[in-house]
Amino acid sequence: MTALPPMPATDAPEALEEASFLRDTLRAFRRNRMAMVGLAFVLLLVLGAILAPWISPHDPYRVELDEQLLAPSTTYWLGTDNFGRDVLTRILYGARISLVVGIVPSLISLMIGTMMGILSGYLGGKTDFVVMRLADMMIAFPSLLLAMVVMYTLGANLLNIFIALALVGWASVARVVRSQTLALREKEFIEAARANGTARTTIMLRHIFPNVVPTLIVLFTLAIPEAIMWESSLSFLGVGVQPPEASWGLLVAKGKEYMFQAPAVAIAPGVAILLTVLAFNFIGDGLRDALDPSMKD
Amino acid sequence: MSKKMKLLLATGLAGLVLASPALAENMLRISYPEDPKTADVQMTTDAYTLPLNIFDRLVESETTGPGQSALVPGLAESWEVSDDGLTYTFHLRAGVRFHDGAELTADDVVYTFDRMLNPATKALNTDILTFIAGSQERLDGTADSVSGLKALDELTVQITLTQPYAAFLALLASPGASVYDRDFTESAGDQFGLTPETTNGTGPFILRDYTLNDSQMLEANEDYWRGRPKLDRLLVRVVADSETLRLLFETDELDVFDLDYAPTQTPYFYGSDQWKEQVRSGPRVGIYYYAINQLKKPFDDARVRKAFQMAIDRQTILDKNFYGKGMLEDGVMPRGLACYTPATPIEYNPARARELLAEAGYPDGVEINLQQVSSWSTKWSDMNQIIQAQVAEAGFKANIVVTDEAAFLAARKTGEAEAYTQVWSADFNDPDNFFYTFFSESGSKVRGYNNNDPEVFAAIETARGMTDQAARCKLYQDLTARIVDTDAAWVPLFSLDHSYVVQARVKNFVVPWNGWSDMSYYKVEVE
Amino acid sequence: MLMFALRRILVSIPVLIGITLILFIMLNVVPGDPIALMMKEHASADVIERVRQQMHLDDPLITRYLSFLWDALHGDLGKSIKLNRPVTDLILKAFPNTLMLAVSAALVSWVVGIPVGILSAVRRDSFLDRFFMGFSLLGVSMPIFWSALLLQYVFAMKLRLLPVSGFYGWQYMILPAIVLGWSSAGVIARLMRSSLLEVMRLDYIRTARAKGLRETGVITRHALKNALIPVVTIMAIQVAGLLSGAVITEAIFSIPGVGRITVNAISSRDMPLLQGAVLFATVLVILGNLVADILYSVLDPRIRAQMRNET
Repeated sequence: MTALPPMPATDAPEALEEASFLRDTLRAFRRNRMAMVGLAFVLLLVLGAILAPWISPHDPYRVELDEQLLAPSTTYWLGTDNFGRDVLTRILYGARISLVVGIVPSLISLMIGTMMGILSGYLGGKTDFVVMRLADMMIAFPSLLLAMVVMYTLGANLLNIFIALALVGWASVARVVRSQTLALREKEFIEAARANGTARTTIMLRHIFPNVVPTLIVLFTLAIPEAIMWESSLSFLGVGVQPPEASWGLLVAKGKEYMFQAPAVAIAPGVAILLTVLAFNFIGDGLRDALDPSMKD
Repeated sequence: MSKKMKLLLATGLAGLVLASPALAENMLRISYPEDPKTADVQMTTDAYTLPLNIFDRLVESETTGPGQSALVPGLAESWEVSDDGLTYTFHLRAGVRFHDGAELTADDVVYTFDRMLNPATKALNTDILTFIAGSQERLDGTADSVSGLKALDELTVQITLTQPYAAFLALLASPGASVYDRDFTESAGDQFGLTPETTNGTGPFILRDYTLNDSQMLEANEDYWRGRPKLDRLLVRVVADSETLRLLFETDELDVFDLDYAPTQTPYFYGSDQWKEQVRSGPRVGIYYYAINQLKKPFDDARVRKAFQMAIDRQTILDKNFYGKGMLEDGVMPRGLACYTPATPIEYNPARARELLAEAGYPDGVEINLQQVSSWSTKWSDMNQIIQAQVAEAGFKANIVVTDEAAFLAARKTGEAEAYTQVWSADFNDPDNFFYTFFSESGSKVRGYNNNDPEVFAAIETARGMTDQAARCKLYQDLTARIVDTDAAWVPLFSLDHSYVVQARVKNFVVPWNGWSDMSYYKVEVE
Repeated sequence: MLMFALRRILVSIPVLIGITLILFIMLNVVPGDPIALMMKEHASADVIERVRQQMHLDDPLITRYLSFLWDALHGDLGKSIKLNRPVTDLILKAFPNTLMLAVSAALVSWVVGIPVGILSAVRRDSFLDRFFMGFSLLGVSMPIFWSALLLQYVFAMKLRLLPVSGFYGWQYMILPAIVLGWSSAGVIARLMRSSLLEVMRLDYIRTARAKGLRETGVITRHALKNALIPVVTIMAIQVAGLLSGAVITEAIFSIPGVGRITVNAISSRDMPLLQGAVLFATVLVILGNLVADILYSVLDPRIRAQMRNET
């Protein structure tokens, strides 16, 4: 959503500085109350998603038509859906999809984007031109539409969501990484390495890459909530995860049909999306402030 | 809600009806879930409300009672069929005029059907005319006219078939056979049916306004040959969202609430003191079924298919997922179809199904795949999930396989399709529409049944040409027993009712024989 | 200045052509038979085959792309398979609805976002600031389809104050505009806040303050003018973004706009229509970015030099 301004690149830190840098960062992050709350929520969610079969007494896929659309009770904390399935259990299982969808495509687009960005920034010339024009095109596409077109072509399933989201995300990563690489290239220690006859690949891997890592961490944490949002939107529109899987967007879409009778079925999974996205955003903001205080405001 | 708020709301909503002069008029306001796209019935296979009200057909299918219909004269006053069943001679009603004043002639009928078969038209409904001699040549572009279509004089049309086809008259009564005016339609070109200016028929209503994705307004045809309709206007509004539909109906912005467009509202309207008296319901000539592919193990074994039939608790699905508004079906023909008689009931008996599986060599149960197509409505994924849970009791370990439609259609073509659930509604009132579609040599293959029974194939071809209706019906009933009971090649589930809720001022609202949402509003009245 | 604008426009052209190519390839390598997919169960194999030939679907991809590009240049985006009408007509008819939604949503986001951003900046690090910023994060973190549902439930289904969906008058625009505007109000607020904070650190503001001007005077008379520059420029991008972000909003509220066309085109597998709608939205986004860039350079001369380096 928000474009991240490029971070000023720091010089290659010495081993000792690296440790203190890490310590400072962690201290700053820990002091950020909202970020800690976000982190706690995400950890809880991860635990809940992994342990879902043991925590929940209900089967997320069972069909018990005699218990359709029950109101919340002590047995079913958030009531049941049109198949008599426990809504809370469905949400817990939905967290598995959301977390995987948040992490996997973000990692893919981060890898592609980093590679493209460093190559483009360091090599310059034709490589730079081609990569950046490609990135321009991807960025010009409205993200949701691009993802929808990919799903239209490849078919609606989880794997294709990964592909769609990776395709949508890599270009902006490449842009940020490129501009950092451009700045780094002029630094003395890189020039020195070059003068020593160090191979280009070594410079890119050993000297440039470590310096963009802090930025990548921030980009990653901010990409996760975005991916979760895209997935739930695609699934809501029917071009994402398919039933009987329990994606949050899908749960809202299906629950919408019963809005008059049992609003909780549609509203509860939406709260889950909201809280999760919010938590990741808090963490992302906290990390950004901690890694680079100058970027605040 | 406070009175002030209600008033505010009312004034706001009043803006909606500004397009129509006044409510005092006899206007019926109905809704449609999406834009009908065109009034040209040759260009659509699913939106028939406009064609049914704007055009007439040579023969009409009239609803005579709940789920019952009769073929009655339409634009053709009378007709004769030759003894060999090949030649149909239609005598047109004299003095019938199109909305633009032109008089209907035999040439218009010939033109209409020729237009449909003309490859340049790119028509979608050509199937109903492929029995006419020379139709294939016309479609292939090797002929400039259809040899079996002739205007004998101003008011006489002669149609010759390549082979006798018992259901031909029923086909001519289907919406796709609506009759157009030659001069007008030719000059409208590919714009025909898209705007009021380019639409012209003989029917009870005239298209006056067409706003894409918003509404269509039809006005009574004062000179209609059967007499002016009772309504002055018919407003069709596009309302996609079921919650909106309910609110519009409850605030009296719509006269007819079609529960097909908002099935989850069924319990509310049936249970509401205000509305339950206003529900109009009728059977639908359509059957929900599970298609099983005999090329796929374990469905190659009739005992397994029989077990699958018995493992599905159809009554529970009908009661819980469709609010009990329907009837179990045990044959190929649903109630309401010509030749229908109740077939041998299929028993829900998971214990017996388990035994059958054991007999077939699967004492520990067997894995099966259920096909789910991602772009289909969630109704089908719901059915799959319920059936998956139900058949487990009999020992079927059902996996739901989700693919997109492209993969599904490709698999069906090569005989690799998994079992899938769907519904088939009658296009015209004849058993051939069901038997030929699913169990003829071509149908059994392209629909993914692969029930390769040469006797069934032969019998279906024979039945098509039979003229003795009683014998023909008997043959279809025997075929049902063979296909469903003996071979267990077909898993019939149920047929549903079609329910509507209407405002108290709506009179004479009759659910059409086939249970469609699309119907003629000629006889409906508004007080 | 003119040179800069001209260069920006020239750079956009290859991007645009590249986009048409990517889009065309993505939509035309769809596995399976698009015609069979488009027609319902009741269409026979013969009919499917015939329509397929009529649509030249068997021509080579490159031939079809070139003729698509040529026609598109002449404003002809082909004919919708489902609606049997020219795609360009359909889009142009739907566009005013989308535009109205986007503009009213943008208004909502400005009316909420700008004052909130200013207040937060002025009362930096106060409780109010934290509250507002938390709130704006909430706006960004809320899925549109869900907040829409929530508002529909409360205001339409329960209170019955506003219509649930459809588009038959201005009242129908209230909920959609709030839903869509709300999500970008957060972005505007954050941008306004950071931009104002940055300006207030600058020398001339310090000078103004030193001269004894009251804080409100400093802000309204001096700081705001400059702080608004990035906000104003982002508006062009924002409106373009809203136009394509309207997809979900239009789908939920059944507004007959370009977004709803897109969703319908996907579910009915109407490829020419989908292609046209996505291309249209993309061109809007590119235009929005172009306008923003040019506007920025006009409003803030310092930027021009920087931009020249980047492009």
